[in-house]
Order: sequence, then C-alpha cells, then structure tokens
Amino acid sequence: MTGSSISGRHSGHLSAAAYFGCVALLTLAGVGLAMLARPAFGHDMLQWIGLESVPQAQAASFYALRVAPLFETRCAACHGEKRQKSDLRLDSFANLLRGGKHGAVIRPGDVKNSELAARISLPASDDRAMPPSGKTPLTEDEKTVIKLWIAHGASGSLHDIAGAPKPVIEVEIPKLDPAAVEKQRAPLAVQVHRLQDQFPGVIAYEAQDSADLEINASLKGGAFGDTDMQALAPLAARIVRADLSGTAVTDASAPVLAAMVKLKSLRLSGTRTGDMTVHALEQTKALRSLAVVDTAVTAGALAPFRARGVTVYGDGDGP
Amino acid sequence: MSQNHPLHQTELAQIQSQTRRHFLGWGAGGLGAFFLNSAMAAPAGENAALDFTRNPATPLSVLPPQFAPKVKRVIYLHMGGAPSQLELFDYKPTLARFHGHDCPESFIKGKRLAFIQGIPKLLGPMFPFHRAGKSGTWISDRLPHLEKAIDDLCVIKSMKTDQFNHAPAQLLVHTGDARTGHASLGSWVTYGLGSENQNLPGFIVLISNGGTTANAGKPLWGSGFLPSVYQGVACRSAGEPVLYLDNPKSVSRTQRRQVLDAVDEINRQTYKDFGNPETVTRIAQYEMAFRMQLEASDAMDIRREPQAVLERYGAEPGKTSYANNCLVARRLAERGVRYIQLYHWGWDSHGTPVDQGLNVGLVGRCRETDQPTAALLADLKARGLLEDTLVVWGGEFGRTPMWENRGGQEMEFIGRDHHPNCFTLWLAGGGIKRGISYGETDDMGYEIARNPVELRDLHATMLYLLGFDYRRLNYPYQGLDQKLTGVKPARIVSEILA
Repeated sequence: MTGSSISGRHSGHLSAAAYFGCVALLTLAGVGLAMLARPAFGHDMLQWIGLESVPQAQAASFYALRVAPLFETRCAACHGEKRQKSDLRLDSFANLLRGGKHGAVIRPGDVKNSELAARISLPASDDRAMPPSGKTPLTEDEKTVIKLWIAHGASGSLHDIAGAPKPVIEVEIPKLDPAAVEKQRAPLAVQVHRLQDQFPGVIAYEAQDSADLEINASLKGGAFGDTDMQALAPLAARIVRADLSGTAVTDASAPVLAAMVKLKSLRLSGTRTGDMTVHALEQTKALRSLAVVDTAVTAGALAPFRARGVTVYGDGDGP
Repeated sequence: MSQNHPLHQTELAQIQSQTRRHFLGWGAGGLGAFFLNSAMAAPAGENAALDFTRNPATPLSVLPPQFAPKVKRVIYLHMGGAPSQLELFDYKPTLARFHGHDCPESFIKGKRLAFIQGIPKLLGPMFPFHRAGKSGTWISDRLPHLEKAIDDLCVIKSMKTDQFNHAPAQLLVHTGDARTGHASLGSWVTYGLGSENQNLPGFIVLISNGGTTANAGKPLWGSGFLPSVYQGVACRSAGEPVLYLDNPKSVSRTQRRQVLDAVDEINRQTYKDFGNPETVTRIAQYEMAFRMQLEASDAMDIRREPQAVLERYGAEPGKTSYANNCLVARRLAERGVRYIQLYHWGWDSHGTPVDQGLNVGLVGRCRETDQPTAALLADLKARGLLEDTLVVWGGEFGRTPMWENRGGQEMEFIGRDHHPNCFTLWLAGGGIKRGISYGETDDMGYEIARNPVELRDLHATMLYLLGFDYRRLNYPYQGLDQKLTGVKPARIVSEILA
C-alpha cells in the first residue's frame, strides 16, 4: 500500500510541526513536574508569564517597616539573592509567602502551623533553630514582631498591630554643614578670635555645627574677674554655657550675665555673687541649670527659678 | 607612635609636618588656623573624618565636638575581674528555685567555658534582692549606699562580649578590640576633644586593690595608633601622684627650669633641622610635666578636703584606696580633666581561694566600693557636675549561673565562672535616662532575652553623648579609617538616652 509505504517511509521521521509539538509537550511536562516538585519555581513561572500577580507590600505597612528589615538583616544572607538554602528566599514579600523546597513557611493567620514561626522559636541548641547556632539570634521582641504579623494574616497592607513591641528608634546624627556654620559664625568671628587669643582656653564654640559659645573661666580662678567679664560682653548673646566657678566675678557682672539671652547653664559656685546676679537672670528663659553652691545667694532669690523648673545646685543658705 | 604602613606613614608625616610648620609660622590659633581649616577641609562625606588638626605645641587644646554634647567628661569605674551580675543587679528567682540542680545540657553542650568541667550545678543568687527607689530597680543587699542613688542610674542588664578571658575582655571594653595595639576610649576622647586643663593630662588612670598592674596591662590606657600624647597617665593616690615627676632632692624648681630651657633649645634646633612634629609634641610634654609638678600634687591631695567630705567617701589620706580614688576623680573632674579611669581589682569570684569567693571576696569588694561610688555620685550631683559628666560602672564580662567546679570538683568556696553571654553595667549622668533598667536576660540568667547591647554599641553611645558620630571620630592607620567601634556596625542605644 502506498499509504503504508508512505507511512513506512515516514515511520522514522516526524514532520516539523509534530516534532516541535512533541518538544513543546515534553518541555511543558518537564516544567509541570518541576512546578509540582518546587512550588516556588511554579509561582516564579506563573508570575513571569503574567498568570499570577506578584504579591506586593505597601511601603508604610507594618511588614515594610517592622518585619522586612528583620528578614533582610538576619535571614537574607542565606535565604536571599546570593544563596537560597532549601530554595527559600525571605528577601521580598512575594518570596516570603512563596516558601521553599518544603512548601510554604508562613500560613497567614496560623502561627502554630507556620514553619518559620516554629523555627525561630526553637532554642539555639536545636539543630533546626533559625538563625542557626553561631549567628546572632533574634531577640524576643523581634520574634514577637514576626509572630504577631503572621497571626494578623501576614498582611502587606496592615499598618499597626496592637500589642507589638515598640519600634526601635535610631538616633539621628545632626548634619554638619561647614559652609553654613561659617556663615552663622561670620558676624562675630573676628571678635571671637581676638578674645580667644586674649583669654586662652576660656572661650570655645559649643560644637563644630554651631555658632553658639561656651565660656569656662573656672580654671583661671581668682585671675578672672568682672573686668574680664566686661571684655566678653560683645559675645554675650551667643553664650549658652558659662562656668565661672571659683572666679573673682561679683554682682558687678550681673548686666553681662543678663545679656546672655541664650544661656542654658550657669555656674557661679564659690564666687562672691549674690541675689543681685540671680535677679538679673530672671528674664533668661533658656536657663535650665544654675549652680550657686558657696555664694551669697539666698533661698528666696532662687525660689522663682525652682518654680519654673530650673535645676538649682546650692540651697541658698549662704557660703 | 606606632609604625604606619610605610608609604602612608611618609605621606602623613610630610603633610602633618608641613601643616604644622605652617601653624607655627602663622602663630597658633591665628589666621593660620583659619586658612588651614578651609584649605584642608576634608572631602565631603557622611563618614569622613573630622578635622582634628591642632597646633603641635598644644596637643591637648580643646576642640569643639561635632555637635552639641550632653556630657563633657567621663568617669569610668571599672571593676576588674568581672563582678557577678547575679549577686548585685540581675535578680533571678527561677535560678534560685533550681539552685543545686545539675545545669541543663544546653548550657554546656558545645560551649567553651573558662574553667567549668563536667556537669556543674546551678547556683542561685547568694544574697537577697529587693526593689529600690521610685524606679523599683532590683538590687541586692550588698550595695546599700548605691541604692540611695538608684533613681539616677540606668542599669543595662544585657551587655555582651565575645571574650571570656580577662585581658582580652578588658581590652575589648577599653579599646574596642580584644588585641593590644588599639587606641583606648580615653585616648579617643582626648584626641577628639582635648582637655580643658593644660596643666594636667587629659586622661588620668587611678588604680586600687592590686598594685599598679591590670590583667591586660598598660595597653588598657594606651593610645595605640593615635599620637602618644593622648595615652592615659596612671597616677597614684598615695605618695607622689606621678612617678618621677617631682624634682630629685637636691634639685630646685629653678634648676629644673634651667635644665628644661636647655633641652628646649636643643629640641627646637632639632625641629628646625628635621621638621618632625613629634619634636614639638615632646617640647610640649616637657612643659606640661613642669606645670604638672604644681597642679597634679594639688589635684591629687585629698588632705585639702574637709573632714566631712573625707568621711562621706570613706577616704583616708595617704592610703591607696578606691575611696581615695573616687574623691580624686571628683577633684579631677572639677579641674577639667576629660577622661578619668578608675580600676578596682579583685572581682574574679571563682571560689578558688577564699578572697575569690562570692561569699567572701565579693562581699569585701562591695564593702570597699559601695560607699565611695555612692558618695562620688552624690557629690557630683550636689555640685551640678553630674549633669555634664558620664559615670560608667562595670566589669569586662559576667559570671555564669552555674556553680564553678574547677577540674570537675566541688570547691571549698562558692564561685561562678566567666560568662561573656551577658553582664550588667550601669551609667549615670548627662543625657542618660534616670532610674531605668534596660535589657533582660532569660530566667536563668544565661542568655540575653531582650535588647542586647554590644560593647561597640556602648562605645558609640558614649561618643554620641560626648558630641561625636562614632563613624567620624576616626584615624587613618594601616589603610583603614580606624574607629573605636571597629569595622562591625554599631548602634547608639537610643532607648537609654534622656
């Protein structure tokens, strides 16, 4: 038969279409098997061809602010972009929900059956504990944050979770802008320099980022007095701290002190100052600390300062 | 100063000597300084080193901190040997319940312990605890004086270290590294800020109970790679405060002056010939030593204190004691010394000899230190100094919840082994929350359960209080911008800041 002879002729060969069909089928079957064996891979494929949306968390969510940083810093070195132990990645919201080689590690709303919650709760000595022995363990607060988040549905949108440990606040270092500081200092810069030369070690800027000044004459002792205070008068408005302990300063310097409108801390202990000086400071609203141990200042003069919350050292019962 | 990388060293020395020559040429602190400040401005960058250029003739001159500081000086009370947190601050009723039981296997399996062998027993707190002050902070009955200041303290129960032997652990506390050769905390602080009093060293070390040596030795107050002028000066509280500072018997102060003038002349010629800035530093050091002859003996002389003050501290002039050192610390703080370091040795309560028993040695150490520490806090507070001073108290690690059984034997006196996993340290003073406890250990006092604080975190926090970003207080050495906190990320412990 011609037909059979034809089929016989073609029996060892497939048509191009059939060949590609077979290849496609086998590929699909392979991909299918791989997807069954490794669900993570399956989700990857589906998300890649657009059949499944990639779960996203909101930027200001509890997840983004509190949970993601923990996974990023404590887990992602082994479960992230570079290494994927057990095919598990914890470096994104989608990866986290996807799970690894052994399936999902998080069951939203069900902490008990979430493998991840179980693993982070194991004692460090357990071989299955995560992070593994030798790595920095999660703190109790950190574990609580993760478990609460799972208990509340492992949501990517929830903002607050009641009872969650307080977020950790990081200290912000003030920015240092030398040009801006120089500009602030400029109006008095020449005078400051001249007086720094005249009184070595007495006048200093409070900080590199500030035009405010501090004076400390306590080490000069009796060699520093009212005339010297008078010399510092041009800087008064910039002075935020003044330590005049043990100097020869008297009530005659009261007007200079009164001109220090930004003064936060003043030390007069062991000087011959009295109530007149203290009265002169009543308008110094910035004042927070006043030391008058061993002076002639009386308790009555100090009362208004105590009343407005200034910390007063010395009880005002005279020297 | 230690040796830098050769190429770097040459470059650095060249630049520094040039800039310093400029300084001398232009006159200290004058227009020259102005010019240099702008000309040498460091390349912009978040973590770029700040400018610590000084006139080499006044290496301890005051430099403003990076930002407004909370404190101006530090008094660090180091209890050498590591006091037991479980007998003083970290109350563990659960541990008490299991007193005498074999310790759980997880406490020893795969762990390296300094002396414990076999399966040790658990050891409950040796002394009764109670809540004290308005804050209700837990404290044992061993510190009745300190208890009065409890509402001024911030007690950190979750300090940790990675060193379980004294010397490296002490180095880690005081230099940020377990090996020798790094700059100590006090050196960093005096390098960054200088010192207000030019007649005294900016960094003074006072030692009691155990001679003049420490486990880790003088590197604890060494300047490491920083210029040597920033190293700590160990002073004695009995006899001459600084050895070899006084003039020999037959030499008058005038004669000493003449000798110094002659040496000065030679040094100046040397500087002219070679331009090495360390020569200028040397001239400055001789001059400071000369001024110190008067100032140091005055600062150290506690006989000048009223009897009532001596009694409050329990100080006895002429002795070497922690009490005397606390009083001297206050006098130095008043005199503008930047960093005052006290060491009191003998807290290593293993239970081997009697003085190392928790039931004897620790009791004695508490008796020696409790009243003076409390008196120092009260004194600083009354004078208004506590608000801009940071006081730190602590050891180099903690002690185990297990009863030490050296060689697997039961021992005559009761003790605990070294425990790096957790220990207690307290802070008081400016910028620190008062009357709080921070961090927790687990019920057995074995691991940290909440808010661990690494030593580098403590360092970063201390530098922050002094007005520095720990990243920017750095110094180039061996190709690295060296920092107190090392290369690992540190964290400023915001939770304890007022």
